[in-house]
Amino acid sequence: MSAIATIAFTLGVVAYSASSTLFFVDLARREGAPQAAKWAPWVLAAGAGLHAAHVITASATLNRWPFDSLHFALSLSALIAVSVYLALRQRARIHAIGAFVSPLALTFLVGAQFVSVSAPPTTIPSTLLTLHVAANLLGIGFFMLAGGVSVFYLVQERRLKQKRVIGTGKLPPLDSLDTTEHRLLLAGFPLLTLGIATGAIWARQLEAGGGVEVARALLAYATWLLVAAVLTLRAVAGWRGRRAAYGTIAGVVCVMLVILVYVVRPHGGAL
Amino acid sequence: MIVVVGLSHRSASIAVRERLALPREEIPDVLAELAAHEAVSEALMVSTCNRVEVVATGADLHAAAEAVRSVLTARAPPVARHLYVHEGADAVRHLFRVASSLDSLVLGEPQILGQVKEAFEVARAAGSVGAVLNGTVPRAIRTAKRVRTQTAIGSGQVSVPSVAVDLATQIFADLKGRRVALVGSGEMAEAVARLLAQAGAKLSVIGRNADRVAEIAGALGGEARGWHELRACVAEVDVVVTSTSAPAHVVDFDMLNAVKRSRRGRSLFLIDLAVPRDVDPRVDSIDGVFLYNVDDFSKVVAESAAGRRREAEQAEQIVAREVLGYDRWAEVTQLKPAIVALRERFQSVVHGEVEKSLKTKLKHLGDSDRVALGKMADAILNKLLHTPTQRLRELASESEDAVQLLVELFEIDPGAEANRSGEHAASPADQASEEDEDSAEGDEDFADSNDEEGERALGTGSR
Repeated sequence: MSAIATIAFTLGVVAYSASSTLFFVDLARREGAPQAAKWAPWVLAAGAGLHAAHVITASATLNRWPFDSLHFALSLSALIAVSVYLALRQRARIHAIGAFVSPLALTFLVGAQFVSVSAPPTTIPSTLLTLHVAANLLGIGFFMLAGGVSVFYLVQERRLKQKRVIGTGKLPPLDSLDTTEHRLLLAGFPLLTLGIATGAIWARQLEAGGGVEVARALLAYATWLLVAAVLTLRAVAGWRGRRAAYGTIAGVVCVMLVILVYVVRPHGGAL
Repeated sequence: MIVVVGLSHRSASIAVRERLALPREEIPDVLAELAAHEAVSEALMVSTCNRVEVVATGADLHAAAEAVRSVLTARAPPVARHLYVHEGADAVRHLFRVASSLDSLVLGEPQILGQVKEAFEVARAAGSVGAVLNGTVPRAIRTAKRVRTQTAIGSGQVSVPSVAVDLATQIFADLKGRRVALVGSGEMAEAVARLLAQAGAKLSVIGRNADRVAEIAGALGGEARGWHELRACVAEVDVVVTSTSAPAHVVDFDMLNAVKRSRRGRSLFLIDLAVPRDVDPRVDSIDGVFLYNVDDFSKVVAESAAGRRREAEQAEQIVAREVLGYDRWAEVTQLKPAIVALRERFQSVVHGEVEKSLKTKLKHLGDSDRVALGKMADAILNKLLHTPTQRLRELASESEDAVQLLVELFEIDPGAEANRSGEHAASPADQASEEDEDSAEGDEDFADSNDEEGERALGTGSR
């Protein structure tokens, strides 16, 4: 890794750690911490900038296109989640979600360092691979954020149901969380569909039939079906609130499992 | 130092308070009346629904208090026995507590700080503020800001309507365009509905008595609907406020189960303010339905109030620290003219003698030697005055006679110096009041600079 990439990585870790702390302080105090709340998004944005600088400089140093390595892809998916959060934060009134997004970005930035940067499969056309990875990356970014929003929905709903509204910081309004979760799923679903479709073509071209590959493909299809079911039930049967949140979290867990299979399979970080 | 004369919710009922309460436009007249009084040199008036107080100062605090009392009593004689008087340090502490909302009917309410600021501005515009109030009121405002930023005294809601609106915003974010049904006609329920309507919600009023329903709907700017429309209304709205005298549940589990499909998962906030309860408690188990009854609200209000009381203890400590700081400032302000006069007196004697020597026995000295001699004289003067100045400061805090003793011993005139520095003393406060209202730190800077100025005058700063 070049010196610039290392510096960007280190400063990115510091910025994400600081923004996590600021968001938690704001959330933990009964009446919030105005100064922490004011600075947290800016520090997070600085972290995202450094994160992006790290990915660009590290991939340039290795002479690798960031979209063809799980090492960079993992890192980029968290960066996308942060970017979407920062773009939606004020309009969707989901400021407190920063307490989920900041540590998530930190985990992925640091965690990606433990995934090797292996060479891309040469049998796959680069355009197809880029399309496949870009769609999945964006989709994962949206789904991770939707998962975090769903968790906050369940916490806020529980507080209101149990009448425990005093003693902790303010969480986003319930309806804002529900609407944001739905919109993130709607945005992520076409990308997930595109990722699965391009993945299916690739798998056929590779004539991949190994057990892990099959499990990964099945898990990806199950995720797609689960998310499709949540969206359909929401549109047709008026599924909202707690059930929709649980469905979204289940979908996000499946997405995480697919990523896990990528990471632990025999060929490590290769896509 | 200052005096505070007035009445509040603690000393008088609303029937008495309203006799003395004044609109903003009439306050300058009272201030002019006070200013015309010989015993009052500066004054401001705080007039709210819960208190009417005059903060004033004069050469004799007791006489100033009597003057204020006579002016207030002349305007409304029945208030005389309800008036309280705070003088000196007690008055400063009272003013700081009032601005910090520690003396408010609703502990921690935010309006009083704005009302104190406004009273200060009105008095400044009327020309009834001088060096003392310019040094006191900004400190009270700064104290109140510290209390609000360093404690959670303003956190939580402490009335049922405000808790209801707060919970509604925790569910729906924006209440603009949300639909609210008011079922029944209880006073508390109407207050809740009014607040929700003020926040932008559309109101429907439902009841068995059509005339009463029309009357309430008219008063609250809502739509009157018949009792038979209750189920349809519950299916449509986001918030239901109930307060009927019905002996059984008017919104039951079956009704909500039946309308669940048509609601398509939309959240429903049920505010049941009736005893016996209007809403079946089992509906709380339905996904997306949030039911709060009188006990739930009482619990939230009690928790908020208890939280504010806990915070008030910390706030009192902040006020006590600020009052101590004020005492030091007042002491410095009081001593400054005497110290400056003393230094000027000594300087004139020393420089006179040096000049005399330079013209006679030391006339052979060159320019550099003359400058060195002048510096040496100043250094001796500073060293000689250092210990007496410090000692004077200590004595002044114990006895008011110290300054008088100094005046008599050295035949100095602190009054002339006080007049020279009077305008100067007002200027930092002018700057403070022009600062950003939320900038507590800015105010702190002002106070610090004022203290530093005093330290320099006393000659205790860096030596």
